[in-house]
Amino acid sequence: MDGTRSGFSYYFMILKIAFRNTFRQKRRTILTGLAMIVGFTLLSLTIGLSDGAYGNIITMFTRNRIGHIQVHRQGYLDKPSLYKTINNASTVGETIQSIAGVEVWTPRVYGAGLGSVGEKSTAVQIIGVDVARETEATQFDQKVVEGNTLTETASHEAVIGKGLAKIAAATVGSEIVIVSQGADGSIANDLYKIVGIVESGDDITDRVGCYLHIEDAQELLVLDGRVHEIVVIVSNIKQVDKITSAIKTQLNDSTLDVAPWQVVAKSFYRAMKADQQGDAISRFVIMLIVAIGVLNTVLMSVLERTREYGVLKAVGTKPVQIFWIVVCEVVIIALASICVGAILGVLVNYLLSVYGITYPEEITYGGMKLKTLYAVVNVRCLVIPAITVMLSATIVGLFPAIKAARIMPAKAMRTH
Amino acid sequence: METTDMSGSNSENLKTTPESDVIVTEGVTKVYAADGIPVNALNGIDLTIQSGEFTALVGPSGSGKTTFLNIISGLDSPTDGKVWLAGKILSEMDGNELSDFRRDNIGFIFQAYNLIPVLTVEENVEYIMLLAGVPKAERHERVIAILEAVGLKGVANRVPTQLSGGQQQRVAIARAMVSEPAIILADEPTANLDSKTGADLLEMMRRLNAKTGMTFIFSTHDPMVMEGARRLITLRDGQVDTDETR
Repeated sequence: MDGTRSGFSYYFMILKIAFRNTFRQKRRTILTGLAMIVGFTLLSLTIGLSDGAYGNIITMFTRNRIGHIQVHRQGYLDKPSLYKTINNASTVGETIQSIAGVEVWTPRVYGAGLGSVGEKSTAVQIIGVDVARETEATQFDQKVVEGNTLTETASHEAVIGKGLAKIAAATVGSEIVIVSQGADGSIANDLYKIVGIVESGDDITDRVGCYLHIEDAQELLVLDGRVHEIVVIVSNIKQVDKITSAIKTQLNDSTLDVAPWQVVAKSFYRAMKADQQGDAISRFVIMLIVAIGVLNTVLMSVLERTREYGVLKAVGTKPVQIFWIVVCEVVIIALASICVGAILGVLVNYLLSVYGITYPEEITYGGMKLKTLYAVVNVRCLVIPAITVMLSATIVGLFPAIKAARIMPAKAMRTH
Repeated sequence: METTDMSGSNSENLKTTPESDVIVTEGVTKVYAADGIPVNALNGIDLTIQSGEFTALVGPSGSGKTTFLNIISGLDSPTDGKVWLAGKILSEMDGNELSDFRRDNIGFIFQAYNLIPVLTVEENVEYIMLLAGVPKAERHERVIAILEAVGLKGVANRVPTQLSGGQQQRVAIARAMVSEPAIILADEPTANLDSKTGADLLEMMRRLNAKTGMTFIFSTHDPMVMEGARRLITLRDGQVDTDETR
């Protein structure tokens, strides 16, 4: 007879047998399912916390410091120089602003110098900022922990990093003399009143950072309206690559480099990726434990039903059909476990995304201080555990399934 | 009077036997290793069973009845010798071919019923037809007819654990017969039944044998089954001791 004529009915029967078998040893099914549920939830939590932590770090790193995209004179990123400037910053900025997805742009000027407060002198990094734009782009004003932010017009004011204030024994109201080199080769020096102290979250920057109004910095460094960097903030970080390409196209200027944050902070990005790969090891260990549990229970179940598989074979069931009955049982338990695990995973990740886990002590990552670890609920924390649980359960189910398929009917029917 | 037609088969699988010979064994030997010691369960059995026979295999425990049934059905393989079933050599078939061959040619009735516990009576009976790809309407029709024939019409939706031993054995008989195989092999079919139920089932199988011409082979200790058989083969120490046709 033609086996394909009622193929659907047969596969439905296989599913029916597999489904009903899962309810025969309820305790064992529950234990198998629990192993999968715990594995799913742990994986989901690991991914949720990892993505939350890295997402938080990336947000802090980009929103507070480097922005999502930067534009420089060609070669500046590899070898920064006072002379590698963007000459028409306003035009470039306005072009960038016209691109969909760009939230705001802000120009910056950088220079190295010597800062003296009273008797104390130390190296400083001059950072010239457009106060209004910088505030909009990186919430510069919110980083001021003492005193005030810079005024929006150039007034020979300075805001210095907390670390620098400590090194130079400076306070709000002190005066700082900055000596540097102008772009025209002259010796540049000027006096600024410290109006505020900032804590950016980056210790290294805070130990040398001296923020000036961009016009004051341009005047000091004799840059004559030129800038070193244009920082771009986009509405959606996932669109960075697309917007980077759009900026390149719109600017159409081969003397300018347009780089996304992953390129700007190359070493930070690589270190973060390496950390994320390290997480894969912990995921593998979780799944190994789950897989061993599943293998044990499924193998037990097959051994207990040796006689039944012998009967199924005796009446004409093919080895491959018995194989599928066992695999279907595992898949049914895995599917149910994934549903329960998904609910638990979302719930736990959601709670941790609201309340977070507070570190006993502040930790530093990439120069940034982190106090609380927040999780996120995203597609990854559902899809990856679902695929992992299903794959590992199916793979470990193969061995018992092959064992069942190879059973010798006469021998199997002698077992009790 | 010639060869069983097995078109498309390898010529080595063919045996020139009368069409009426459904089972032919030649020097069938089975040696088991029990705790490393070889035990001869069958010692060169030569037998021919013809279509439509109602045969009982008898003999004391350990005489090789069940082993012989397992070997002629392809559930077990002989250590030596050959078995032709409907003209085909069983030992030359692979696992899938054997499954298909059993499905299409043999119905089993076991001493311990061996029903599929998670399926209802109706599903147990239907199962083999599903394997064979019988269309739904035909399956349904045949299941209803066979359950009526074995007196189980009212219990179609029960699972085996909700049935008595006699009812379970009737389901096993219905399952064995529903696809109308050429041969029914029954291993101690009345052993777990009371004498009245056993007699009823035996009578039912005799009627089916007379009506359909299927070949029935029983292994049994039951005098009632022995009495009802038209051929009685006695095995002793793995050999045919007597072979009596009535």
